[in-house]
Amino acid sequence: MNRLVQHWLFFVTDAWDEMRHSPAVNLLAAATLTASLFVAGLAVLVITNVGRHVDQLQSEIRIDVFLRDDAAAEAIAELQSQLKVTPGVERVLHVSKDEALSRYHEWSREMAQLIGELDDNPLPASLEVYLRSDQDTEAIGVSIADSFGAHVAVDDLRFDRDWIARLESMLRVARLAGIVLVGVVLAAVVFVVSSVLRLAVYARRDEIEIMQLVGATPAFVRGPFLVAGSWFGLGGGVMALLVVEIVRQFVLSYSTRASLPLLRLFCAQPVSSGWVLGLVLLGLVVGVAGSWFAARHRF
Amino acid sequence: MIRLHNVHKRFSGEVAALGGVTLEVEKGEFVFVTGPSGAGKTTLLRLLLRQQRPSEGNIFVAGRNVGALPDRKIPELRRSMGVVFQDFKLIARKNALENVAYVLNVAGHSRAEQRRRAYNALRSVGLNHRLNVYPRALSGGEQQRVAIARAIVCEPDILLADEPTGNLDPDLAVETMRLFREINARGTTVVVATHDRDLIRRMQRRTIILDGGRVVDVDRTG
Repeated sequence: MNRLVQHWLFFVTDAWDEMRHSPAVNLLAAATLTASLFVAGLAVLVITNVGRHVDQLQSEIRIDVFLRDDAAAEAIAELQSQLKVTPGVERVLHVSKDEALSRYHEWSREMAQLIGELDDNPLPASLEVYLRSDQDTEAIGVSIADSFGAHVAVDDLRFDRDWIARLESMLRVARLAGIVLVGVVLAAVVFVVSSVLRLAVYARRDEIEIMQLVGATPAFVRGPFLVAGSWFGLGGGVMALLVVEIVRQFVLSYSTRASLPLLRLFCAQPVSSGWVLGLVLLGLVVGVAGSWFAARHRF
Repeated sequence: MIRLHNVHKRFSGEVAALGGVTLEVEKGEFVFVTGPSGAGKTTLLRLLLRQQRPSEGNIFVAGRNVGALPDRKIPELRRSMGVVFQDFKLIARKNALENVAYVLNVAGHSRAEQRRRAYNALRSVGLNHRLNVYPRALSGGEQQRVAIARAIVCEPDILLADEPTGNLDPDLAVETMRLFREINARGTTVVVATHDRDLIRRMQRRTIILDGGRVVDVDRTG
């Protein structure tokens, strides 16, 4: 048998053997990894859910261009095509007078009755200009207002500059908070896991000394630790994600029972498959790297 | 095979464990190192195994300058030696067979070869009926015999033994020495540190006497 394969087989059987003989230390290491990755998973769940809402808010940043009732169809079409090619504009939606009325009906049933009593539809047609979220929406809005405010088809132009500025700064804070939270959680995971794995290695210091004295190379001694670390990491990652999902389901059901819909903001959607893979890989990397550093510290 | 020239070993606080030891052991020789407790016997073996570095002087083992050996070469040096430690140093979670097979595994032997040779080594020390027993369930004498089996299983160039008969009854001590003589007859250089004067007298081999970290006498009876 290939010597490398034989060594790896030995690492696997030895790691398993060691776990059977020292269940307490290994259980502690596995539980710590699971708990740390659970915290990371929870952070990911909250950040991705809040992030979705943030994205939704951002995609709704728009300028309403109200059209004159007597504006010619050609002028409106020309305005719409000019807006479409304006830098920073995502899309332009034409809302006819009838459509505006139907939306109003939907939005306010009681007030709509008042409008229904009028002879004419008083609501203007408009162009909804949606801005690209990755651009400086405030500057683009000002530029559009300046460029198209005096257009022949335009009656009025609504661009809530203060609201957009507030929203933009809120989104910046939310994104920064998300990055800081992920960074802090990751650092805590790495620190806690490497400390516990170092403890596991320390518990086997006599055995490590014997192995070295009979001529085992550092790589040979380290092998079973790395295998065990990868098991802890993978197992801990999967377990942590399962617990995150159980907690999510519980919070969702509680928010319905206790009429606390705001709670859904944090956990309406499960952790995405990309993040699931990422967290399991994070567990694997942290488990292996933690074991490597812990074992390296002793050799 | 082993050559020490003016070797000093001082620990913190300038406590001298060895003070200017110079000695030579020929290839294939069987040598005893004796002396009272604290004479420096164990320190001498530790230096040969590069568990510690000499504070001064040179140590050559099979042509290698042990004190100057880079760390990556230490496993190779240790694989060329078999060692019986005073405190046995058996791996607690491995049974007798696995403890002996471990050194063969480290040396890269196949699994089947490991089992065959480990079994033969344990049989040679009379423990073939205790293969699957863990160290904690073995008596002191049995643990020492497992340690001996582990030391001889690779048929090393050099066998170092620190008080190898300390936990054995007289019959087993004689049997152990017979094993050492056998492996010595196959060409292995044997260095035994002991303060058992009867054993040394019976064996009639060259004996290096240490006291206070210095070689005070060499008995060339052997």
